[in-house]
Amino acid sequence: MKRWTTVLGRVGTVLIAISLALLLVSLIPQIQMSRREGSGPLSPGGIRIVFNQQYLNPQQEVQVAVTVEGTLTVYLLEMNVEFQFVNGTFDYRFNVTDLQELLQEHPDRVIWEREVENGDYEWSYIPTRVMNATIVFYNPSDSETAYVEYDVALKSSLAPRDKVRTIAYFAAPTGIILATPWFLNVWKQRKQK
Amino acid sequence: MGKGKPFLEVLASAIHEDYRFPFLEIFAFLYALGTFVFASFGVSITAIGATSQAMATANEVIAYGAVSSILSLPLLILIILVFKNIAYGLGSDLEKGIIQTYFSYPLKRWGILTAKLLSALGVALLLFLGIQISALYILAPDIILPQLGTVFLTYAASLSYPLLIAGIMLLLTLKLRRGGISLVVGLVLYFAMSMVSGIATIFAIFTENPVSLQIISAISPSLVLQQYYIASLGDFWAPALSEVLLYTGVSYVIVAAVFALGYTYFSRRLNL
Repeated sequence: MKRWTTVLGRVGTVLIAISLALLLVSLIPQIQMSRREGSGPLSPGGIRIVFNQQYLNPQQEVQVAVTVEGTLTVYLLEMNVEFQFVNGTFDYRFNVTDLQELLQEHPDRVIWEREVENGDYEWSYIPTRVMNATIVFYNPSDSETAYVEYDVALKSSLAPRDKVRTIAYFAAPTGIILATPWFLNVWKQRKQK
Repeated sequence: MGKGKPFLEVLASAIHEDYRFPFLEIFAFLYALGTFVFASFGVSITAIGATSQAMATANEVIAYGAVSSILSLPLLILIILVFKNIAYGLGSDLEKGIIQTYFSYPLKRWGILTAKLLSALGVALLLFLGIQISALYILAPDIILPQLGTVFLTYAASLSYPLLIAGIMLLLTLKLRRGGISLVVGLVLYFAMSMVSGIATIFAIFTENPVSLQIISAISPSLVLQQYYIASLGDFWAPALSEVLLYTGVSYVIVAAVFALGYTYFSRRLNL
């Protein structure tokens, strides 16, 4: 048997083993860490913070589902907002002015921005580093009140499932292609014996 | 026959013996699975609060925490593989007289030992580091790429002590010409270090004197690295990066010296 066939064959079998491990990792279900649901009107020019996580890490995923009547801009921002006690209730220390200031002065902190109108929407986000994360709803309309129904869930998993599965889907066939000549040679040799 | 061909013959034979199908595949599977199962960014988050007293930045602490977390069980699996390769691979070659066959090749003795060590240590390390660093990159590219120095330093510091034991095992295997005893000694030495460092840590905390930890760091620099990044033992010892690099360098000089002894013994003293 040619040495290169053996080397490539064993590289192929290692690739198959790694892709099996990756597939197994992607099949382990996510654990829900927290969930926040809510609904209600959002006045023209108003904001609402629906999610705030001080440390979001690469093994966590934020899943957002929104149903909107009217117009709404959804921001995922890399920042941490503090709670404060005002007029007998706890609320975030963050208002429209703060949002506009952040958008103008620190556009790099906007991870994504989605403008939505009358419908159902779903997004998810997995960070690639440890970061702060805050989701803010903003009604950009001057006159129309938006009605929002939202469901924000924070889930934890071993690895980003789609990414890991995609790598496994590429690695496994490559491994099979590399390993097949070696397997055939081994089989032929055993048959001869 | 050129000089390269007999070397490749010995290397191929060693790899064939050390990684019979499906051992290599099982280890690759365990490294890949273990990396994702043990990866944790939570430990480093609690450590971020300690960075005011530690010398490292928050991002370095996160990278260090992530690498440390994936080193736990997968490192033990690597150590078992390397110890098995050195003790049983080389040991059985000596016992069965296969090494004498290699001596008839037009290849110097150090070349034969290099081929055996490349298979026993090199392939195992390549597989381990390749899978772990790739998995970390899949998980958190924005942590790993900017902190590659921290990642490699953590691996270098963590692998130094296992490599030292591998060197001691090589010497023992060559001296005794069998692998069983050296495998037991290697495992005892590996687990003894956790006990010794525990005693040294208690001693250092009570006396507020880091000398005992500094002595251990010369052979196991992961201790000084841990103190540099998360300062978990208190503020009586705040090593700078240069100190960490010095301890890591010293530990590798010791490792190199032990392997050099092994090479000298194999080349000049081993009578078969």
